[in-house]
Amino acid sequence: MTTTGRPEALEPALARVLQVGTYLSIGLVAIGSLLLIAGGGSPLAGGPPLSLSTLRGDLLALRPAGFLWLGILGIVLTPALRVATALLGFWRRGERAMAGIALLILAVVAAGVVSGLLAG
Amino acid sequence: MEVGLLMLAGGIAAGAFGSILGLGGGLLIVPLLTLGFGLPLREAVGVSLVCVIVTSSASAGVYLQRRQANLRLGMVLELFTAAGAVVGGAIAFLIDERLLAGLFALLLVYVAATMLQGLRQPADEPATDDETPPHAHLALEAGADAAAEEGRTGEPAGGFLAELGGPGYDVTRLPVAALGSVGAGVASALLGIGGGLIKVPLMHLVLGVPLRVATATSNLMIGITASASAIVYLVRGGFDAYVAGPTAIGVFVGASLGSRLGHRVGQRALRVLFVLVLAYTAIEMVRRAAGMS
Repeated sequence: MTTTGRPEALEPALARVLQVGTYLSIGLVAIGSLLLIAGGGSPLAGGPPLSLSTLRGDLLALRPAGFLWLGILGIVLTPALRVATALLGFWRRGERAMAGIALLILAVVAAGVVSGLLAG
Repeated sequence: MEVGLLMLAGGIAAGAFGSILGLGGGLLIVPLLTLGFGLPLREAVGVSLVCVIVTSSASAGVYLQRRQANLRLGMVLELFTAAGAVVGGAIAFLIDERLLAGLFALLLVYVAATMLQGLRQPADEPATDDETPPHAHLALEAGADAAAEEGRTGEPAGGFLAELGGPGYDVTRLPVAALGSVGAGVASALLGIGGGLIKVPLMHLVLGVPLRVATATSNLMIGITASASAIVYLVRGGFDAYVAGPTAIGVFVGASLGSRLGHRVGQRALRVLFVLVLAYTAIEMVRRAAGMS
């Protein structure tokens, strides 16, 4: 039982999301870093900005930027994926208040994206 | 190639140092990148946030598996830290970098001062792989548990609040903690830190959560807090993937090594060295704030 007397299932699932997300993302960043360093590139030369339209091409061409950006996006989005998983879990368990809080957290993160796009 | 390897090595050192001393890597990444590699402060903060997410997500997974973190309480407070982080991320692009440097210097002085206090106490607390405030053990020794106990008995928890408690403790004074969480989020976004320095004392002293649970829960919250602000940096273009890659890998490796080797390292000597590093870094940040470097 959990601290509140409910059947447990959520925490292990959330742990898996965090661990799988982190290890996959860090693996991609490691490949990107290796390609960058092995290719003689300097991190201080200034990497290309994030561009979703060039991401696929960069990955296929084994360019460091593709792996780095995909990995970094994975790192940044893994906690949000954990919250989304919690939302589903709480909803299925009938914990509407906690599901609502999870939804609000995701809304705040989305607001950050929108405000950044508007300001940038 | 040399710069990339140096960045990797710097990340390993920052990650290991932070992990052994229970401070997370965030506090050291910004000075490493700004003073060591000449990066603009705002760019360094964005990279630091990504490093903070990596270490937080890896260790939060372990804490969740062990049922050490209070998931419900963490998620309620995350709502406020994330909101603060989005606001802080927006503020970071509005204020002068010299002001940011000044704020960072203040943070370093605060951490150095609390670590100096810690040196007067027996340094036998276990090392952690999360961002534990340097004064956490002092709070315990100074009777913070008694203060937390007072907080618990202040008002009975009921309804939704009752669901946020855990074995042996109820959660009280949530509005105060919510307000403090917003502040932790703003600080995280402005300075590129996890914000555990604020969240752990807040949960322990204000909400009456046991220190071990507060530390684990704070670690869980750090991920989404730093994520909310890192997204603002990513979207607004204040972020360099080439710098973030080797640094994040270094911090990840360093934090893993630190959590395994921490108990074999003399904590006292390391703390003295760390205070000296912090003092030097604070002076350099003040010089930067004053426009002297």
